[in-house]
Amino acid sequence: MPELLAVNKNLFVEDAWQLDVFKGTGGYERARRALTEMSPEDLIAMMEASGLKGRGGAFFPTGMKWKFVRADPNTPRYVIANGDESEPGTFCNRFNMELDPHLFIEGMIIAAYAVDSHFGYIYIRGEYGRAIERVEQALADCYADGILGEDVLGSGYKLDLRLRRGAGAYICGEETALFNSLEGKRGNPRFKPPFPTNSGVWRKPTVINNIETFACVPLIVENGAEWFQDLGEGDENAGTKIYCLSGVINNPGVYELPMGVTARELIYEYGGGLPEGRTLKGFKPGGASAAILTAEQLDVRLDPSIAQYNTIMGTGGVIVMDETVCMVDAAYRDALFFEEESCGFCIPCREGTPNLVQILERLMHGQGVMADLQLMEEIGDSMASSFCGLGQFAYRPVVGAAEKYHDEFVAHVEGSCPAGSCPIAKN
Amino acid sequence: MTQATGPVEQTQADQSTVLESLRTRLADLKDEPGSLLEALYIAQEMLGYVAPESIEIIAEELGYPEAHVFGVVTFYTLFYTEPQPKHIVRVCRDLSCHIAGATEIAARARQEIGAHPGHASPDGLLKLELVSCLGQCEKQPALMVNLDVHGPVTEEGVSDLIRSLREEDQ
Ligand SMILES: Cc1cc2nc3c(=O)[nH]c(=O)nc-3n(C[C@H](O)[C@H](O)[C@H](O)COP(=O)(O)O)c2cc1C
Ligand code: SF4
Ligand code: FES
Repeated sequence: MPELLAVNKNLFVEDAWQLDVFKGTGGYERARRALTEMSPEDLIAMMEASGLKGRGGAFFPTGMKWKFVRADPNTPRYVIANGDESEPGTFCNRFNMELDPHLFIEGMIIAAYAVDSHFGYIYIRGEYGRAIERVEQALADCYADGILGEDVLGSGYKLDLRLRRGAGAYICGEETALFNSLEGKRGNPRFKPPFPTNSGVWRKPTVINNIETFACVPLIVENGAEWFQDLGEGDENAGTKIYCLSGVINNPGVYELPMGVTARELIYEYGGGLPEGRTLKGFKPGGASAAILTAEQLDVRLDPSIAQYNTIMGTGGVIVMDETVCMVDAAYRDALFFEEESCGFCIPCREGTPNLVQILERLMHGQGVMADLQLMEEIGDSMASSFCGLGQFAYRPVVGAAEKYHDEFVAHVEGSCPAGSCPIAKN
Repeated sequence: MTQATGPVEQTQADQSTVLESLRTRLADLKDEPGSLLEALYIAQEMLGYVAPESIEIIAEELGYPEAHVFGVVTFYTLFYTEPQPKHIVRVCRDLSCHIAGATEIAARARQEIGAHPGHASPDGLLKLELVSCLGQCEKQPALMVNLDVHGPVTEEGVSDLIRSLREEDQ
């Protein structure tokens, strides 16, 4: 099966980031049609019928989100594209922002019209220098061409979009932390409810969607809800997903495939499998936040149903590991990430993440005891009550690895690393 | 757009000129609610870091308490409250890069730079930072010099890179 190219089709069109080239691919015609020939209600119904769900990790139905925002009488309403992309193992939004920035901007225009919003933000992580440049250029070109501003595409609709940069904080990808960041504050999350649909940026009704979610929108308008629905594997899945592949794999990169392909297909058919002589040990299906699955679980579908295996689909950042990767070390890397990125606002996460790091360090240095394994679970239990998703997920990859690779953790307590790659093995 | 970290060498004398022009550049942001991070980027681009005097000016011009501005500066890892070496070498230490050898890359970078992570090299030109995923995982192991991305990098490649950064400045 060849790679599907819908959202990514312009990735192979030279200079698609330039407005005239983008227009040559049918760009902004979908928005023009939406704004001049369709009612906002029709558009929302179309998104609902398409089955599009948010690609940022929570898979909330996009049409429903827009409907809630439109139903809130409070104004002004806002639209926000979340380009903070900082989940380890995830880099697909970067390709879309660098190589095809107009596609998601077109999606934002359609969304704004659907919810009657006249102002939006694009929030991009500060490390993405090239994406920032390209999106800034794209916005400038849109204003110069009458695609944004007082009279969007000659429809009489007014819309302004602003680019804002993050400045090195994973937590700002969490929607309410992102709002605070946009408002010029520290990026601590806010309590939910109220949800962003009613109280988002500036406490106003806000559509916030991932870059890839917005990029799907013009394609749905162009090809119809049914076309999109049919792209996914099975009845539950709609559209494609841009999976990211990294770790021990021949061809790391982005692969746009039907939502719901199996891990086996992604890793072996598209990623070229593991390098010669390496054996698969396990893989993380959705970035750092996702608990690891074992080689025996290769046939799981990479879609939200993966939750039944006590992990998450998350961002679709698949990280492949072979026999030489120590599972204690891998868990340690995740713990270190969450310790570094915990915003420090609530106690279970602020205290729990460094505690996990310390325990894993002990294990990797031959100073662990059996009680540490129990302790990790207890810390996990307390972190479950964390204030936001970061802390609520941070412990799961650690506890999950200790469960799935129990014998390997016990071996560390006994003083050896079966994979032979963590500090214990080097002493 | 300004660079996230664009250290600039400054003498005391031109610092005050820079601070005055910061005031001018902030004028555009006054009507843009919530643009504090953009203001901090401008301040950092002009002096190479967010100086206490810059914080004062931003607070004044944009109407925030100084403590608020300071709180925001310190929340975000791309902002610095101290002068920085010209080249910040940011080596990703997260899982994909780690599996691909980031630990060895970081060790080599540290050796070439001649200072522990977070500290300036003896010649004051370079600094190593061990950072979270850069979103460049297909380039595993990846690193950035300021915002320029490199990867996949080898140990030798890191030595060459750091040498060429030093030569650039001779
Ligand atoms: C800790 C944390 C980090 C997140 N980071 C991102 C991110 O970088 N990009 C993103 O689109 N969503 C991220 N999310 C999810 C957002 O909160 C939000 O659900 C999403 O932007 C909604 O868009 P969607 O419905 O299109 O997925 C994050 C959530 C959490 C809890
Ligand atoms: S769970 Fe962690 S990231 Fe979330 S609010 Fe608490 S400390 Fe901050
Ligand atoms: S894990 Fe290193 S760039 Fe993502």
